[in-house]
This record gives sequence, structure tokens and C-alpha cells, in this order.
Amino acid sequence: MREMFAEDRERLKELGVGAMDKSARSQARQARRVRERLANSAALTVLLIAAGITVAALAVIILYVLIHGAPSISPRFIFTWPHGVNAEGGIWPTIVSTIYVTALAMLIATPIAVLAAVYLAEYARQGRIVTIIRFAADSLASVPSIVMGLFGLAFFVDAFHLPMSMLAAALALALLMLPIIMRATEEAIRAVPRYIRWGSYGLGATKWQTVSKVVLPWAMPRIITGLVLAMGRAIGETAVVFYTMGMAINMPLTPLDSGRSMAVHLYMLAVDGINLKAAYGTALMLMIIILVLNSLAHLIQRRYRKVR
Amino acid sequence: MTPFTLRQADEQDQTLNPGMSPDLATTSPQHKKAELTLVSRTTQIKERALSLLFFLCAIVAVLGVVLIFAFVAVKAVPLFKDIGFLNFIAGTKWSVAQSKFGVVPFIVGSLVVTVGALAIGAPLAILTALFLSEVAGPRARAVIRPAVELLAGIPSVVYGFFGVTVIAPVVGRLFGGAGFGPLTAWIVLSIMIVPTIAMLSEDALDSIPMGIREASFAMGATQWQTIYKVVLPAAKIGIIDATILGMGRAIGETMAVLMIVGNAPQMFAGLTKPIATLTSQIVLGMGYASGDFQTALFGMAALLFIISMGLVLTVRLLSRSKREEGQGA
Amino acid sequence: MPSLPQPKQTRWRTARLAALLTALLAASLLMSACTKGSTDIVVSGSTTVEPIAEVAGEDYSKIHPEVSVLVSGLGSSAGIEAVGDTKTADIGTSSRELKGNELKLGLKVIPIAHDGIAVVVNPSNPVKNLKMDDLRAIFAGRITNWKQVGGADEPITLVNRDESSGTRDAFTQFVMGDTPFELNAVVLPGTGQVREVIRRTKGAVGYISEGFVKGGEVRALSIDGIAPSAANISSEKYPLSRSLYFLARKDLSPAAQGYIDYVLSDAIQEGAVRDAGYLPIKLKSEGQK
Repeated sequence: MREMFAEDRERLKELGVGAMDKSARSQARQARRVRERLANSAALTVLLIAAGITVAALAVIILYVLIHGAPSISPRFIFTWPHGVNAEGGIWPTIVSTIYVTALAMLIATPIAVLAAVYLAEYARQGRIVTIIRFAADSLASVPSIVMGLFGLAFFVDAFHLPMSMLAAALALALLMLPIIMRATEEAIRAVPRYIRWGSYGLGATKWQTVSKVVLPWAMPRIITGLVLAMGRAIGETAVVFYTMGMAINMPLTPLDSGRSMAVHLYMLAVDGINLKAAYGTALMLMIIILVLNSLAHLIQRRYRKVR
Repeated sequence: MTPFTLRQADEQDQTLNPGMSPDLATTSPQHKKAELTLVSRTTQIKERALSLLFFLCAIVAVLGVVLIFAFVAVKAVPLFKDIGFLNFIAGTKWSVAQSKFGVVPFIVGSLVVTVGALAIGAPLAILTALFLSEVAGPRARAVIRPAVELLAGIPSVVYGFFGVTVIAPVVGRLFGGAGFGPLTAWIVLSIMIVPTIAMLSEDALDSIPMGIREASFAMGATQWQTIYKVVLPAAKIGIIDATILGMGRAIGETMAVLMIVGNAPQMFAGLTKPIATLTSQIVLGMGYASGDFQTALFGMAALLFIISMGLVLTVRLLSRSKREEGQGA
Repeated sequence: MPSLPQPKQTRWRTARLAALLTALLAASLLMSACTKGSTDIVVSGSTTVEPIAEVAGEDYSKIHPEVSVLVSGLGSSAGIEAVGDTKTADIGTSSRELKGNELKLGLKVIPIAHDGIAVVVNPSNPVKNLKMDDLRAIFAGRITNWKQVGGADEPITLVNRDESSGTRDAFTQFVMGDTPFELNAVVLPGTGQVREVIRRTKGAVGYISEGFVKGGEVRALSIDGIAPSAANISSEKYPLSRSLYFLARKDLSPAAQGYIDYVLSDAIQEGAVRDAGYLPIKLKSEGQK
């Protein structure tokens, strides 16, 4: 710190305020300043390059999938069934299965996760139980997906005798989405300004009235953003679905029907390596869905910011 | 007195939610009784019941974790008897045909893949986060942040597919061999963990008060000096947390890794020689495993679970020590 | 402050939606319970035969909507047991001939396809032929350079299949015997990937069903001087050839017999059988001409 002040003193001297006989030292100072400025711009350039690499990696992957996948995308590809040994034709049942299982998982996970977040943010007193719940949520979020898949197999399929089905997969996926939605909701609730709550309480509203009619509506855009992102996670999940839903190509009707999700379909096509055209097409469809969901999340957030 | 309380109850609802029915007043007949409390007894009970319900919802997360470990571990328990814990955890030979289930090659494989991916991915991610938080203008941020989020959203199969069709051939051409192995996995995995580390690091950086930076600038420090000497030390723990969680992502990554490491159940032999990881071996074996073999695979899953719990615990302890430090200062 | 939503309406809407969903669910459950009453043919056994049996089953159900074919892949031994012993399957499938006690089950053995496993290398590799012993030594890791078998000075890159693969089973049976595989080998879970990796890797060697060696991307080697040609495979002169079988009891139902006939018809033989990389069974008679 003193050095910095000293530097300023030197600058003053340079301007002719102080003695001139220390010009050698002042030159050294100046050289150091130049060096510092160089180091600064070099470091900032490195930061820029790092960010550039990150964006470039994304661009390369998207472009690659787009270029190779676009030729195979057609209404026929989207709306017909795969047939033959090498899954020629379309991917329609896999799209339906993916949407089916994701929707079901959302139906299961959303109420539980939102209410759990309400508990953590509004009701719980900080203490051991809250610490345990938070730790559990963090752990749940970091359970490797293969472990989640094996758990789904051992618990829902083996122990509960569910068939490999939409329901079993949705339950396992719900567990996967739970911490994501919980965290998003809790953050959203915490971002609700205090005075709004005070207003509500001041009018004599009970806690639940305040939460359900004031806090949650206010936090809704951010909660929905979290939901959309969790949905993206579920759609792209492979290992969990693989062991709980199976890989039979099937049009699911009831929640107890099996099916093959798009991600599993892509995995099998890619690993087989014979019908790569369909693999690229499926990859592109998956990317489009994820892209749409992400933009949706952004849109919701931007609109909500404008309103605020 | 009675009419006053009643009207008050009505007004509450009306003011709070214009256009909504005053369900409190209509659903609770108690309001007709003259009670001095602001909320009726049923409302109180309702509130209690609701908070209990929320608590139960929150407990689902705890229940989930416990069940996951229990069910994976139960399936792995015969391991102690049939394979022998030491043969499992310290065995260096994996051969289904010879009933040898030593997982050391896979643990080493997972470690090699993870450490390398971190060595490439973490600096990239942290620098990206620094750029986003400290340097970028609003326009650059509007491009980079969605890009990072999108990277997080890309399904891991797509990454794996990209690795198989693009990265592996390039690695093969440059270094000989088929291009499957740790090097390929590093490249693909490092991209995959960038968003995890970058987003969490950015959160940590953003939470540092602006005042610290302003003080540094006011003393004539350059932007890099401010970042290096002021911002980074302040955000250190948050960034370490982010890196650990990125590590968890890398260790647990399954499908992408399976598609690019080469899946040879051998000890690490070189950067372009095929190896296998805990996750990839589970998937490859699960399809046809039974008996001891399946037990060993569940044992590996339990091991993965313990590792990921350990990482989360480390993050927790680090954050707590930071909080205490903050309180002490 | 944003205008607050009107919870009452929303709540009604959610309630209605929930009711609708429940109704739909109940209806679909009922429907799925009612659609039964057709004839099921249970086919189980070899995973190698599974794709053919499955595609044939789908197509057969299209022609005969009253029949549905349920295919599962458990392995050849399990398939033989299912049809001959426990009688849980109408048709068993196998990628090997019956042996030992299985011969006494009195099963009808119907070959449905030939499969030759081609040992493939990069087209730039000058080696054209391998002795069986050398092939084994290569996959056991005892021969590590092509010059040891008369090729260029190029290290050998081994490409293996995963252990659940039927092709690997067959290769183990025909070539390796009790000799363990070298561990330093890329293990790939799909035929197409093996072909692709060998196409782009100079010193690579692997094995795939002969039907997938097409288009000149990879080259199949002769083994002990015998090329994996269609004729050599169907006559089983080529040492890595096998047949795929359907197994049935004598009291075969007409529906199951119809299905078997369909599998042996040109529609499947020239379609699914070839798509799966195998050779149609009818070639045998042509080969013997």
C-alpha cells in the first residue's frame, strides 16, 4: 500500500513538484508501470481467450450436430416409427416416450420440491434438521446418474415390482430433479422482498396465506425457470432411464408401459454405429428441445425482469 | 365486536387478492362465533397441518439419499462374503471369466480421467467466470452466460457422440492407435465440467462486495492486480467448492465416458491406451451380469456414491470454515 | 409490482386438469386391459438372433394382427431350456447347435441364417491371410506387430467387443478357446463402431459379422487360407462360421409355425437377416450346386 502511495509521490515529482535528481528512480518506476499495464492487458486477454474457448466449444458442438443432423430431419423422421434391425425410419415413439416420462416426472417432483423449498425458506428454523435436509439435497444433486439408475432398478423395479416403465423411470427422474427444483424455488422465495411479506402479515394474513397468495406468485417466474431447466436435465438423462424404462421401442399408453427415450435411442444408435444418420438426426432433435427449453427459461426471466 | 372481526377477515382477503373469494370467511363457520383471535381455530389447525406437510416434503430429499445408499449397498453386501472386501477394493485384476473382481484398475481409471479433466477444465472455467464477472461488458455477458448455461444443458450422450465421431479420430490420427483413452476423455469431460465450475465460481465472484474492488482501484491497482490480489483471494473458497463439485460431475459422468475411454479393464498404461472407469464398467457389465459379477457392480456403485457424498461433505466443511472465518474477522 | 394472478381461477383450472388426467389414466388402463385376447408367440434365447426375431415378429403381426410375437434375448442356453425344458417359450433361439443333454429334448432344429465372423483390418494393411494360431496370438497379445506375421512394421491396435456381445462369444469359441484376451484392447459396444475405428486406424484389427464388411471400408482376412465368402460360410468351411437356429417342440401351434415360415420367407431372409449382417439360409443350396 505504501508502495502505491510512493508511486503517486513519484508521479508528482515527475510533474516537477519534487526534486529532479531522482530521475533514474523515476524511470524505473515508470518502467514498472508499463510492465504492470502490459501484465494487465496480457492477463485480461487470457481471460477473454478462456471465455472465447468456452463459447467456441459450444458453437462447434452445435454446428457439428446441426450440419450432420439437418439432412435427416424431416416430418417423416419425426412422425414415423423406426423399423428394421438398424432402426431405419423415424423416431416418433421415442419422442412421445421422452415427453411422457418427463411430464410424469415433473408432475411427481414439482409439488414435493416446491413445498420442500417453502419449508426451508419460510417455515424451518435454522438448526440441525435444516442442515441435514440441505446436505441431503446437495448429495442428491451430486449422485452420479448411473447410481441413480441402479437405485431405480433395485428399488422401483426389483423391490416394488414395478415393470420397467414410464412410472418407474419418472419416479427415479423425479428424485433427480427434486434438488434442482428445490434449490431454484428456495432462491426464488428468498429473493422476494421482505416488505411484501410484512404487508401481507400486517393485513392479518396467516403464514400459508402469505406464502400461497403473495410469496409464491411473486417468485413464480424464477420457479418456472428452475422447472424448465430441470426438465432439460431429465430429457437428456440416459443412464437413469436406461435401467428403469428399458429400451424397447414402444408407444406408451399407460404409465406402466415401457418405452425408449430419445437419449437412450441416441446412445444405442451411436454405440452401434451402423445407422449414424438417424443418430445425428436424434442428436439434433434433442439439442433443439434443450435449446428451446433454455431460451424459454431466459424469456421467462427477461419478462419478469421487465415487470419488476 | 363480532361484526367487526368478521369484516376484518373479509377485508384481509379482499385486499390481498382482489377478485378472489374470501374462502377463509366462507369455509370456516367459526367466524360466526365471536372470537377475539384474529385467526380461527380451524385456520390454526390448517396452518399446523400444512407446515407438517411441507416438512414431510422436505424430508423426501433425506429419505431419497438414505434409500439410494441402502438399496445400492444392500445389493453390494454379499460382496463381503462372496468376493471378499479386500479382493474387491485392493484387487488389481478384473476378469469375469476367472471370477476376479478387483476394482483398482477402475478406481485408477476414474482418477486419471477426473484429474486430467479438472486440470484442463477448471482453469478454463475459472478464467471464464472471471471474465464474466470482472471484465465482460453487458453485451459480452449476454452472449457468454447463455452459452455456458447451454453447455450445461447438452445431454451427456451428445457429448459422448461428439467425442466418438470427432475427438477420437483426431486423437487417433495425432497419437496413433484408435484414439480411445484418457486423453480423449479429458478433452470431452473438460468441456462438460466447464459450465458447472464456471457458473458456481461466478456466483462466488458476484457475491464479493463491489466496495473491495473499488478500494483496490482507488489505490491505483490495475484491473488484473485487483482480480489477482483482491477478488480471487476473497472468492477462493467459493471457487474451490465449485471445482470440487465439478470433480463430482467428472467422476460420476457415465455415458459420455463409456463412449470414449475404450473400456479396457486394464491398469492405466498411457494417455492414448484404452482404460475403463467405475461408471463405464458398470454400464458395460450391467446388461448381462448376475451373481458375484452383479454384486461387484453394485459394490462399485456404492463406492461411487460414497465418493460423491465425500465430495459434497468436503464442500460443506469448507463453506462452514469460511463462514466461521468471516464471523471471526 | 406485477399484477397478482387470480389463484381461485387457477386453482379451478388445476383441479379440472387433474381430474381430466386421472380420467385419461383410468381409461387407458382399462383399454390396455381389454386389448388382450390375441395369440401370443413367445420367442426367447440368443441375443444374436433377437433382432431378426423381433423385426420378423413386428412384420408378422402387421400381416396377422391377431398374433403378437414377444421376443426376449437371454442367451442360447436359456433359450434352449425355455423351449425344451421349462416350456415357457414357444420357440427357442440359439446361435449354436444342440449338445449333450439338449439333444435328448426332442426339439426340432430349424436353421434360419448363417453367420460368418470376419476378421477385418484397415484396407492399407498388406496382410491378406492369418493362420488361426497367429490370430489367437494377436488377440492374446503375444504378437504385437504386423511384421511378425509378414506385414509392414506397424504396431497392432486391437479392437474387441464388449462381453455381452454374441459376436465376441462366437469369436471366443472359434478362436480363443481358453486363452484369455489381451487387456490392452479397445472395447467397443457396437459392430458399426468397430468397423469405423478399423477404417480409420492403420494397424487395427477386429472382428465383425461378415454381412457388415461391405463398401471396401475394411478388408476381411482369410483364415488358414479360406476366405469368408458367402459360399465358404454357408458350407461352414470358413473356420469362423456358425448357423443361427430356431428350436421348436413337436407340438408346434399353427400360429408359431406360420411365424417360422415367415422368418424363412424371402421378405425376412433378404431383409432383416441381411440387415443384421447375416447370410440367408437358402444360400446353402446354391453353394452346394
